Amino acid sequence: MKPYDIVIVGGGGAGLYAAMEAMKTNPSLNIAVLSKVYPNRSHTSAAQGGANAALGNKAKDDTVEMHIFDTIKGSDYLADQDAVDLLCSEAPKIIRELENMGTPWSRMEDNTIAQRPFGGAGRPRCCYCSDKTGHTILQTLYEQCLKKGVIFFNEYFALNLSVKGSRSRGLIAMNMKTGNVEAFSARTVILATGGYAKMYWNRSSNAAGNTGDGQAIAYRAGIPMKDMEFVQFHPTGLRKSGLLVTEGARGEGGYLINRNGERFMARYAKEKMELGPRDLVSRSLETEILEGRGFDSPAGKYLHLDLTHLGADLIKSRLPQIREMCMQFEGVDPIDEPIPVRPTAHYSMGGIDTDNFTRTIMEGVYAAGECACVSVHGANRLGGNSLLDILVFGRIAGHTAAEEAGKFEPGNISEAELKEHVEELRGGMHASGHHERYGELREELGQTLALNVGIFREASLLKRGIQDIAELKDRFKKVRVSDSSDVFNTNLMQVLELKNMLDLAETVAAGASAREESRGSHTRIDFPVRDDAKWHKHTLATQAKGKVVLGEKPVTMGRYELQERTY
Amino acid sequence: MTAPTDQHIEGTKDVTFRIFRFNPQVDSKPYFDDYTIPVERGVTVLRSLNYIKEHIDASISFRAFCQAGICGSCGMRVNGLSQLACTTQVWDVLAKSRESGIIKVEPLRNLPLIKDLIVDMDPLVDKMKHYSNWIDSTMPESSMGKKEFLISEAEFLRYDKATDCILCASCVSECSILRANKEYVSPAVLLKSYRMNVDSRDAIHGKRLAELVKDHGVWDCTHCYRCQESCVKSIPIMDAIHGIREDAIELRGMKDTSGSKHAEAFMSDIEKKGKLVEATLPIRTNGIVWTLQNLLPMAVKMIMKRRTPPPPPLVKSAKGIKIFREMFREMTEHVRQDHKSQKK
Ligand SMILES: Cc1cc2nc3c(=O)[nH]c(=O)nc-3n(C[C@H](O)[C@H](O)[C@H](O)COP(=O)(O)OP(=O)(O)OC[C@H]3O[C@@H](n4cnc5c(N)ncnc54)[C@H](O)[C@@H]3O)c2cc1C
Ligand code: SF4
Ligand code: SF4
Ligand code: FES
Repeated sequence: MKPYDIVIVGGGGAGLYAAMEAMKTNPSLNIAVLSKVYPNRSHTSAAQGGANAALGNKAKDDTVEMHIFDTIKGSDYLADQDAVDLLCSEAPKIIRELENMGTPWSRMEDNTIAQRPFGGAGRPRCCYCSDKTGHTILQTLYEQCLKKGVIFFNEYFALNLSVKGSRSRGLIAMNMKTGNVEAFSARTVILATGGYAKMYWNRSSNAAGNTGDGQAIAYRAGIPMKDMEFVQFHPTGLRKSGLLVTEGARGEGGYLINRNGERFMARYAKEKMELGPRDLVSRSLETEILEGRGFDSPAGKYLHLDLTHLGADLIKSRLPQIREMCMQFEGVDPIDEPIPVRPTAHYSMGGIDTDNFTRTIMEGVYAAGECACVSVHGANRLGGNSLLDILVFGRIAGHTAAEEAGKFEPGNISEAELKEHVEELRGGMHASGHHERYGELREELGQTLALNVGIFREASLLKRGIQDIAELKDRFKKVRVSDSSDVFNTNLMQVLELKNMLDLAETVAAGASAREESRGSHTRIDFPVRDDAKWHKHTLATQAKGKVVLGEKPVTMGRYELQERTY
Repeated sequence: MTAPTDQHIEGTKDVTFRIFRFNPQVDSKPYFDDYTIPVERGVTVLRSLNYIKEHIDASISFRAFCQAGICGSCGMRVNGLSQLACTTQVWDVLAKSRESGIIKVEPLRNLPLIKDLIVDMDPLVDKMKHYSNWIDSTMPESSMGKKEFLISEAEFLRYDKATDCILCASCVSECSILRANKEYVSPAVLLKSYRMNVDSRDAIHGKRLAELVKDHGVWDCTHCYRCQESCVKSIPIMDAIHGIREDAIELRGMKDTSGSKHAEAFMSDIEKKGKLVEATLPIRTNGIVWTLQNLLPMAVKMIMKRRTPPPPPLVKSAKGIKIFREMFREMTEHVRQDHKSQKK
C-alpha cells in the first residue's frame, strides 16, 4: 500500500482540526485519520462548559494578556509561558474560525458570540453553545472533514508505532470490524488520542476509552511523558458512574452533607462553604470519606449533595439537566432525595512531551490535545482552556506535519514486522493457563490509584501504589481474553486498553512519588507547600528496559515571575 | 445473619436479560441468550450489560463509550424500543415489561448487522455526505478567523434543538419507511439537512434542497412520527421535515417530483391531522392541479405555524374527525378521478 504523508490517530477535536488544517496547508497530501470510535463519538463531545478566548464580547476590557496571566497563575506557574502566549493569542482567531465554519455558538444581544464567566478567569471569556459546547464543536469539525473528503478509518484501534532508530515508519492498528492487524506506513504520525484519567475507572468522569492509548504507544516507543502526576479531580462525581454533577448544583444553593448530617464544608471553607475552589472542595470531600464520615454502599463510600430544600420548582426550572442526569444514571430524583457523590478524576494535565510546534523527540511523530503536554496547563488546568488547547495545538500539529512531511522518507513497514506485531498482540492471550480476569485487574488498578495516587498523596501511600501497579502488571501477563472471535472483539480491545493504563499508571505514580511538594492538583500531605527551589520544573518519564526512568525539564518563564497562588 | 439476604430482597431484583446474539463467523442465523443477574435500583441497562460481559460471558459485543448519553454509541432496542442503553434504568424498563422479569435487548434495525448488538453506521455517514450535511460557508476559507458573522439569538434558536442530535440512530431504527427502503434519506439526516438549511452562513442551501426533493428524499416520509417519538434527545424532528417541505415548495414550486407524490404526502399529512378540513375543500371544487399550485404552499405553512402537534395515536381527534375522514375519502376519490381525467 502507498505510504501516507500523515497518519492522524484520534478523531476528537485535536485530531480533526489537525486533519483539516493539514489538507488546507497542502491539499495534495495523502492523509488518513484513524479512530477507535466514530469521530463524532469522541470524548470532546462531553465538554459542556465552553472554550476560553479573549474576544471581549462580554467584557469589553478583556485582553489576551489577561487570559495569559490567568492561565499561568492557574497552572501554579508550571506552564511554559511561551506556549501559553501562543495558546491565548491564537484563541480569538480560532474561535472565530469555528464560527465562520458553522459552529452554533450561543449569542449575545448584539449578535456576537456569547461568553460567560468560568472558574479562575478574571473576565467572562468562556465562549459556549448552551451546555453542549464540545458536542457542537466536534460536530462542526466532523462535518467539515466530511466536506473536505478526509479519509477516515473508523473503529481502528492503534496498537503501536513502528520504530526504526530515531524515527517512526508509521503505525500498526487493528481493524475492529475484521480483527485484522494492518500497517499504516507513513512519513509522519500525529497522536491525538485524548486523556488518561479513565485509569481511575469508576472514579472518573471520562469516557470508557480515555485510556491514554496514544501516550502509552509513545511511551513504549521511547518518547518521554511529561508531568504525568498532575491529574485534576472534580468534587462532585456521581457515586456509581463518576459522571459529573456540574458546579451549577452548588451554585443554586445545594448542600454537601456527611453521614452525621453535617454541612461539613464549614470545617474547610467557613465563608465560601460549598462554593470554594474545585481542588479545595475535592480535598474536603475526600477528607470526610477518609475520616469515616461518608455513607457506605456496595459501589463505595460517598457523601450527599442535597438539593431537596431548594424545592421542586427551582430544581425543575433551573437545574433540569442535572435532575434528568441523576434520574437516568443514578435512579435518584434530587427533588425527593439527596444525590450520592464523591470526587472524580476529570482531566489529565500530563502527557506526551512536545515543543510548541507539537513535535516530540522522535522525528516525524507529533502529538496534540489532551494526550500531549506542551505545557499550557502546568499543574492545574483552568476550565475552558482544554477545548482551546485541542483546537489551537491540533491546528498547529496539522500545519507542522504538512509542512515537514516532505522532509522525511516515506516509512515502509515490512510484512515480517507486521507479523511480529500480530504475534505480540495475540501473544498467548487466549492461551490456557491465562486466568487473570480483565475486570478484576482494572477494578484493582482504579482502586489503588484512587486510594494511593489520588487526591491526597503521601510517601508511604505512593509506595503502596507503585507496588500494587507493579503486581498488577505482573498479573496482567496472565490475563485472559475469553472472547476468541475476530469480528469486533471488544473483550480484546478492553484488555489492550488496560495494558495501556497499566503502563501509564506507573508513570503517574512515579512522578507523584518523586515530586516532594504540593502544587496545583498534586497534594502531598507530607510536603504541603510548593517548593519552587527544588520543584519548579517538569518531570519527564521515559521507559527504558521496561522500567520508568525519571528525568526533568526546566519551565520556560517569561513576563511573569513566580508568585504565591491565592484566590 | 439474615441481614444480607434481607438486603438482597429489598435492594435488588433478579432480572433476565434476553440478548440477541450473532457472530457472522460462526452463526448462520441469530439467536437469543438469557442471562439472569441481580440488579439494584439505579442501575442502567448498559451497566447491566457491562456486568454480564465481565462476569458471565465476555463474548457479548456492544458499543459504549461516554456512558453519559452524549456520544450516541450505545443505541439498541430494549424491549422493542430503540434507545440509549446508558440512560435507561433497568427498573423503569421492568415496570413496563410485558414478560415479568425479562428484558429483551436487540440491535438497532434498518442498519446492517455486524455482530450481536453492533450495527454498521457507515450507511448513515454516507447519507450525511450525500446530502451535504455540513455548512459550506459563504465566507472564503482565506478570510476565516478575522471576524464573526453576526447572528441573532432568534436564528440560533431555529437550529439550537437540531444540534442536540448525537447520531445514535434510534430514530433511524424506528423509521417505518426505512424498513421498506434502505435508501431513504433517514430522519436524522433530514434533521441535519434542515439545520444546515436554516443557517444564514451556509451557501449551498439550494443544492442541498435539490437533492432532498429527489427520490428517497423528503417526500417519501409518511409522516408517521415514529422518529420523533423515539428521539433520545426529544428533538422535534417533524418540524425539520415540515420545514424542508415548505422550503421545497416555496423555492422550487412543483417542478421536481410528480405532482401526485406531493399530493399524496400532503393528503396523508392532512388526513392524519384531521384538522384542516377547509384546506381540502378547494380540491373538490377546483381540482388537484389548481389546488397544488395555489394553495399547497399556504396549507403547508399553516401546518408549520401550528408547529408539530402530538403524534397521531395521542392526538385528540379534531371535533368531527369521523365526518372529516369520510369526506376525505370521498374527496380522494374525486381527486383520483380528476387526476385521471387530467391525464386523458
Ligand atoms: C465531563 C467533561 C467535561 C469537560 N468540560 C470541558 C469544558 O467545559 N471546557 C474545556 O475546555 N474542556 C472540558 N473538558 C476537557 C476536554 O473535553 C478534553 O480535554 C478534550 O475534549 C480532549 O480532546 P482530544 O481531541 O484531545 O481527545 P478526545 O476528544 O478524547 O479524542 C480522542 C480520540 O482518539 C481516539 N483514540 C483514542 N485511542 C485510540 C486508539 N488506540 N486507536 C485509535 N484511536 C484512538 C478516540 O477514538 C477519539 O477519537 C471536559 C472533560 C470532561 C471529561
Ligand atoms: S415520520 Fe418520516 S422520517 Fe419519521 S419515522 Fe416516519 S417515515 Fe420515517
Ligand atoms: S435525531 Fe434523536 S434519535 Fe435520531 S440520531 Fe439524533 S439524537 Fe438519535
Ligand atoms: S455510551 Fe455514549 S450515549 Fe450511551
